[in-house]
Amino acid sequence: MDQSIDVARCLQRWQQGDESAAEEIITYLYPLISKIVRLHLPRREQEEDLIQEILMKTFSRLHQYKGTAPLTHWVSRLALTTCLDKLRAQKIRPEIRRTDLTPEEADVFDATWLDGSTRAATDAIHARDLVDKLLATLKPEDRSLILMVDLEGRSLEEISETTGWGISKIKMRLFRIRSQLRKTIQTLEQRS
Amino acid sequence: MSTNQDNKWEELLALSASTFAGESAPPYGFMTRTLAQLRQEQQEDRQVGWLCWRAIFASLGALVVAASVTISVHNYSNRGDDMEPGIGRFIQVENIQVS
Repeated sequence: MDQSIDVARCLQRWQQGDESAAEEIITYLYPLISKIVRLHLPRREQEEDLIQEILMKTFSRLHQYKGTAPLTHWVSRLALTTCLDKLRAQKIRPEIRRTDLTPEEADVFDATWLDGSTRAATDAIHARDLVDKLLATLKPEDRSLILMVDLEGRSLEEISETTGWGISKIKMRLFRIRSQLRKTIQTLEQRS
Repeated sequence: MSTNQDNKWEELLALSASTFAGESAPPYGFMTRTLAQLRQEQQEDRQVGWLCWRAIFASLGALVVAASVTISVHNYSNRGDDMEPGIGRFIQVENIQVS
């Protein structure tokens, strides 16, 4: 995070009723929460509402923050839990077939898995939609886990710290997720 | 996934990576809305707190009244006689022996 603030001082000012301190805390936490929400929720979700919900939770639970770990770690965990709750509430884990893909998503899929051609950067949105469809077949926790590993490149120790899961549990889950994704991709590879 | 499929999956993620990037600053109006909601929630918390204190004091008051009534009734019924209070007092003052 580029912008750094005196977190302890800000929290103290906020507890004394200084609203400008709240503004500083929001500005400080916004990029972090925005990144987490965008990573863990499918595109087209109401990002702003969820970011606001996480900020409200943060302020209402600030008295529980002991200050032993950085505020950003504490907020990351809160944000991740909120995103997972949101995903769990959707309860949608459909199996996808090739006919479920839009023509653009099918093009991206073919280019990546079948043709092996490189795609233009303008395909990012369609690629994201395809990623979301593939990830929608996973459990919420699995979706978040595979993105933390494969997209963010986070270490198992970091993930363990954020999620509270043991390393062996994470490894086991990753193995299962990859196997599940492979099956889904094999289904999509059948053009007819 | 096999190594080849791992690579393809990572390629797809890399292609979509830009859509996962968070925003560095809140959009226009976000701060005002959030602060307004924060203010509203604080006010609601204060109101709930005030209501809780009122409920606690009301309960305590009711408890005190109930205890006073119970003690009075208990004392009255333990006086050991079945006479009217005025007569009982007269008997006490005059030290009359009642069998």
